[in-house]
Amino acid sequence: MKRATLIFFSLAGLLAAAIAAALLIGSESISPFGLTEQGRAILFDIRMPRVFLGACVGASLAVAGASLQALLRNPLAEPYLLGVSNGAALGTLLAFVFLEGYGFARPILSFAGAGIATFAVYQMARSRAGMNVERLVLSGVIITTFLSSIIVLLTSVLDAARLRGYTFWLLGDLSQATYDGFYLTLAAATVGTIVLSSQARALNLMMVGERDAFDFGVEVGRVRMIVFAMSSLLVGTAVAASGSVGYVGLIVPHLVRLAIGSDNRLVVPMSAIAGAIFVVLADTVARTAIAPRELPVGAITALIGAPLFIYLLRRAN
Amino acid sequence: MAYGNRKMYFASLILALAAAMAVGACSQPKSAVTEANFVQVKDDLGRAVNVPGEVNRIVSLAPSITELVFAAGAGDKLVGVTSYCDFPAGAVSIRKVGDTQTPNVEAIVALQPQLVLVSTASQLEAFAEVLDRQKIGVYVVDVQGLEDVPKRIRKLGEILGTKIEADVAAGALTRRIEVVGSSIRTDAPPKVFVQISAEPLFTVGSGSFITQLVRHAGGESVTKDIATGYPKLSKETAAAMDPEVIVLSDSEDNREPNEVFRNSPAVRNGRVYRIDADILSRPGPRLVDAVEKLAEAFHGKGESGPVN
Amino acid sequence: MLRDVSFEMHAGEVIALLGPNGAGKTTLIKALNGAKEAFAGSVELNSKPLASFSRREISRRIAVVAQENETKFPVTVLDFVLSGRFASGSAFGWESAEDINVANKALDECDLANFGTRLMNELSGGERQRVVLARAIATEAKILMLDEPTANLDLSHQGMMFRLIRERCDADGYAAVVIMHDLNLASEFADKVILLHRGSIFAFGTPENVLTEANIETVFGVRALLDVNPVTEKARITTVFSC
Repeated sequence: MKRATLIFFSLAGLLAAAIAAALLIGSESISPFGLTEQGRAILFDIRMPRVFLGACVGASLAVAGASLQALLRNPLAEPYLLGVSNGAALGTLLAFVFLEGYGFARPILSFAGAGIATFAVYQMARSRAGMNVERLVLSGVIITTFLSSIIVLLTSVLDAARLRGYTFWLLGDLSQATYDGFYLTLAAATVGTIVLSSQARALNLMMVGERDAFDFGVEVGRVRMIVFAMSSLLVGTAVAASGSVGYVGLIVPHLVRLAIGSDNRLVVPMSAIAGAIFVVLADTVARTAIAPRELPVGAITALIGAPLFIYLLRRAN
Repeated sequence: MAYGNRKMYFASLILALAAAMAVGACSQPKSAVTEANFVQVKDDLGRAVNVPGEVNRIVSLAPSITELVFAAGAGDKLVGVTSYCDFPAGAVSIRKVGDTQTPNVEAIVALQPQLVLVSTASQLEAFAEVLDRQKIGVYVVDVQGLEDVPKRIRKLGEILGTKIEADVAAGALTRRIEVVGSSIRTDAPPKVFVQISAEPLFTVGSGSFITQLVRHAGGESVTKDIATGYPKLSKETAAAMDPEVIVLSDSEDNREPNEVFRNSPAVRNGRVYRIDADILSRPGPRLVDAVEKLAEAFHGKGESGPVN
Repeated sequence: MLRDVSFEMHAGEVIALLGPNGAGKTTLIKALNGAKEAFAGSVELNSKPLASFSRREISRRIAVVAQENETKFPVTVLDFVLSGRFASGSAFGWESAEDINVANKALDECDLANFGTRLMNELSGGERQRVVLARAIATEAKILMLDEPTANLDLSHQGMMFRLIRERCDADGYAAVVIMHDLNLASEFADKVILLHRGSIFAFGTPENVLTEANIETVFGVRALLDVNPVTEKARITTVFSC
């Protein structure tokens, strides 16, 4: 317990440091002392909502990843790989095309898309014998590619001008951050993390087996619904705000487990903080690497995440 | 099967195959011209292209090229254009054969054109071979910028057999370009920001001909040194730019300047101009319209809003 | 599918559940545990219908020892055993000192004294099996359901496990239902035997009454010779496989 407390506070400290650094670094240099009016606009109107949104998106995706891994009994489960992010992206696209004027259409349809995709993957992956890695990854690949092709179909029909922005966003893009978007993702991240942390003990049991969990007192069906609903909420709001930022839900919980073990009472909340740090740092790279041009943040997380995923996959076998 | 019967069987099989191939070969569409009167020319990329002496059937695979062909007086020779070719009016009724990125090769071949005109945006390798086998020439048109437009029109006129009309059109455009050049003040070019899309924020960089267009109209693009043609710009950098004029390439996602410009001189002084995206971004004859409108916006009595 | 199954269980009893594969043994255990999968009829716990208890309440009273499963997550033995305390704790709370105490005692009883910090996937099949038993004991539930608990265990540990169960039942008033294949162990340790055949109870009673040569031949299709173990004075079954 003491070790966990220590790690918790170090992570919180790291997050504060990362946010501070991110606020000070950008394609334009501004000094925190003696802010010009322009400097103020850059700091408060552009950088702040973006950095804060990044932190919330990172937390949301990491927590969703951690709980999906516990529920599906597989350390390699992840919203992006499982097609959940694509489901959310499709929902957002539909809102973007057909419900342009309605502000809340995006996150709501995104949430619905995420939920449907989660459900589909779960149904495909389970069998009498229970779930195994191959089946899960396969189901995820099928759902992801299926949803991708629908997205491509829709975007082919769309006007080319609007398309340009959308394809950038599909890879994860925090440049359209607004304070409203930040508040919404903050609310979702908070609710999601708290609810899923409260199920942490049940998740510990479910990680060993649904049968075991049932035998020892877990209302399996109820916990499953809660995890599906919360992870859809988390992924839905994150994707609606910033597109599909991949691999966060995979790398972060895994690194956290390497540090403090698999007890979800620790893993879930800590993944939130570690996820926030990860995305804040990745986004800082995304917006400074080729300044004044920008890279999509999802490209940076994938660059780090994909090789790490391959490494993890090989270790698992 | 008895041995003798098997021999008969295989023999007739081979005969049948040969007959099928012969029939197949005979039913290949014949080229629209005989081999005799072909001229070899170099297209805009320096490629050698065999162009028939008399050209009557051509296909254009870019809206800008369609406009250039019409300007050169050869619009009536077009038998196929892309779905986006909507100018001039005569182009609308021509048969559509796909778009620049994904042309319908079957439809093109079925039209039996002699020449297919493509831009550098097309993926040549994909269909060049197929068309080559059909003896359909593939000619690349590459417009380098505003001043290159009249030259391209002249060249097209030569190849397509409409030299006289092409020269006249080219001459008129050249004059208009010169008029713009001489009527502007070059000592204090306004700082111009060209916004291609509001969210995400896309602008024009060093690789885009629009940057030269702005310069010719007497302005200076604040993003002229940024690499690539259409970079996605960091909002912070945009906020620090303070453009005096903002040009919006008018399309659905680009009706207003991005929020970051709200304190810029351009927005405060109301110097925000919308230009039809088609005339601004197609490297064709209407670029001259664009430069005229830009010059008016930068230096003339132009008011903010659609420049028309 | 189970049909026509009714019996009563009392504190202090060990009931062996025997029968060929597919007879419905595991299904019966699941039904007794509250998994309402396809069966008509009712299960009563302390004269109250099982359905009226919540999952947590059931798990405080009934503990299951099922086939151990592999876990891909790094879980320590102590954490694994502690998860048995789920039903007696709060949803989020941390384990109390008492929980840890109970868990450690259970580990001791299963001959796993210093295994607490080892990882589950480092253990052998037999060791994992014993951890699973320790978890069931740690729940302090008085009714144990065991599904082939000795499958991976060596002889000495097989004996240890049954002695443990027997002791609990005799001394603390526990009751246990054990699915097993070893007829002699059943005869040795069980008070009653349920012989399940094609989803129904073929015979129910003391081992001597149920494990007759005729019954064994009918249910298992195998000839058996019956005599008495000279040491324990319990029925001894010797199977005869004719070639």
